[in-house]
Amino acid sequence: MSRYLKTALVLAAICAVAALVLALMNMLTKPYIEAYEANKVTSALEQVSCGMAIGEREEVNSGYVQYMHKLTSSGKTTGYILGLVSNGYGGQLTIVASYDANGVVMAAKLIADSETPGLGKKAENDGYMDIFVGTGTADRPVPTKKGMLNDLDVATVSGASMTFTGISKALSSGSDFVKSL
Amino acid sequence: MGNHTKELTKGIFKENPTFIIMLGMCPTLAVTTQFINALGMGAGVLFVLLFSNIFISLLKNVIPNSVRIPCYVVVIASFVTIVEMVFHAFLPSIYEALGVYLPLIVVNCIILGRAEAFANKNTVLDSALDAIGMGIGFTLALSLIALIRESFGSGTITFMAIGSWDGVIKVPFFNKWPVRVMSLAAGALLLMGYLKAFFNWNTARRSAKAEEGKA
Repeated sequence: MSRYLKTALVLAAICAVAALVLALMNMLTKPYIEAYEANKVTSALEQVSCGMAIGEREEVNSGYVQYMHKLTSSGKTTGYILGLVSNGYGGQLTIVASYDANGVVMAAKLIADSETPGLGKKAENDGYMDIFVGTGTADRPVPTKKGMLNDLDVATVSGASMTFTGISKALSSGSDFVKSL
Repeated sequence: MGNHTKELTKGIFKENPTFIIMLGMCPTLAVTTQFINALGMGAGVLFVLLFSNIFISLLKNVIPNSVRIPCYVVVIASFVTIVEMVFHAFLPSIYEALGVYLPLIVVNCIILGRAEAFANKNTVLDSALDAIGMGIGFTLALSLIALIRESFGSGTITFMAIGSWDGVIKVPFFNKWPVRVMSLAAGALLLMGYLKAFFNWNTARRSAKAEEGKA
C-alpha cells in the first residue's frame, strides 16, 4: 500500500511542480502573445480593407462567418470584412476577407493555421489569395474545386488540396453571406 | 575529462541521432523545407533535451521505476510548453512556421530515448553533455537537409529577417529553375536516403582504415 502511495505522491508532486512552472511562464509570456495576436489581426484587417475605413466589429457566428466589420467610404457602406473559420489539413484555418457590397472578394488573408510547412503553409504567402480576388459573381463564382482554376492557379494550390478546399468554401460562404445582407 | 568530451561529441558524428540512430524522422522530414525552420526546431529540441536530461538525471533516484515513463513525459511536455510559449511571445515567425511540429517535440523519440537510455542511468553532468551533443547533432543534421532542400527546391536560403533585410538569400540558377520535388515529402525521403548512404559509406571507410591500422 505504501509503495502505491509513494508512487502516486511522486507523480503528483512532479505534476504540481510542472503546473506551477508553466503557470509562471504563462504569466510572463501572456502579454506578449496577446499583443502579437491582436497586432496580427489589426494588420490583416488593414491589409484587406483596400484603403477604406474599417467599422466596429459585429459578432455573427453563423456557419463559416464569425464576425464582420463594415467598410465605409465617404460615409457610405461600400463593403464588408468578414472573419471566417474553416478546416484545413492540420486543423482550423482563420481567414479575414473583404467583399464589396455585391459579395465580390476584394482581398483575403490567412491569419492562423496549422498547415504543413512547404505545402498548406503556402496559403500564407502573398499572392495565394489572388486566386479568389474578383470572384463571387454569377459569371465568376468563388472557385471551390480545382477544376474551376486555370493551370497556373492549379500549380499554386497543388500539394495542398485540403487547404484550398477549406479556404475556398469559407470564402464562398462569406460571399453568400454578404449577398444576403 | 576524456570521457566527458566523448559524451559531448558522440551525438554530433558517431551517434548522430538523425543519420546514424535514425531517430526523430518525422520532424526531420517535415520542417526542413526552410533553413530557418531547421534552426528553430533544432534550438527547441536542444533546449528541451538539455533540461529534460538534467531534471531526469536529478530525479532518477526519486522516480519509482513503475511510473518513470509518465514522469518523463510530464517533464518533457513541460519544457516543450515553455519553448512553445517563448517562441510564440518572442520568435513568432518561427512559431508560425514550425506549427504543429513544435508541440510534437513531446513525442520526439530522441528526447524520450535519451531520457530512458542515458539520463536515468548517468550523472547530471554526463546527461547534460549527452543532451548538448545530441541536440547539436540533430540541429546540424536538420540544417544540412534544409540547406540542400531549400537551395534546390526553392532556390533560396531563408535566415531570420533583420531590419530591412528580409533574411532570404537567392541561389543562382535554382532560383529560376527550382527542382520542386525537393520541397515535397518525396524529395525529403530521397535526400535522406542519399545522405544515409553517404554516412554509411563514410563509417565503413573509417572502420576499414582502423582495421588496416591494427593489422
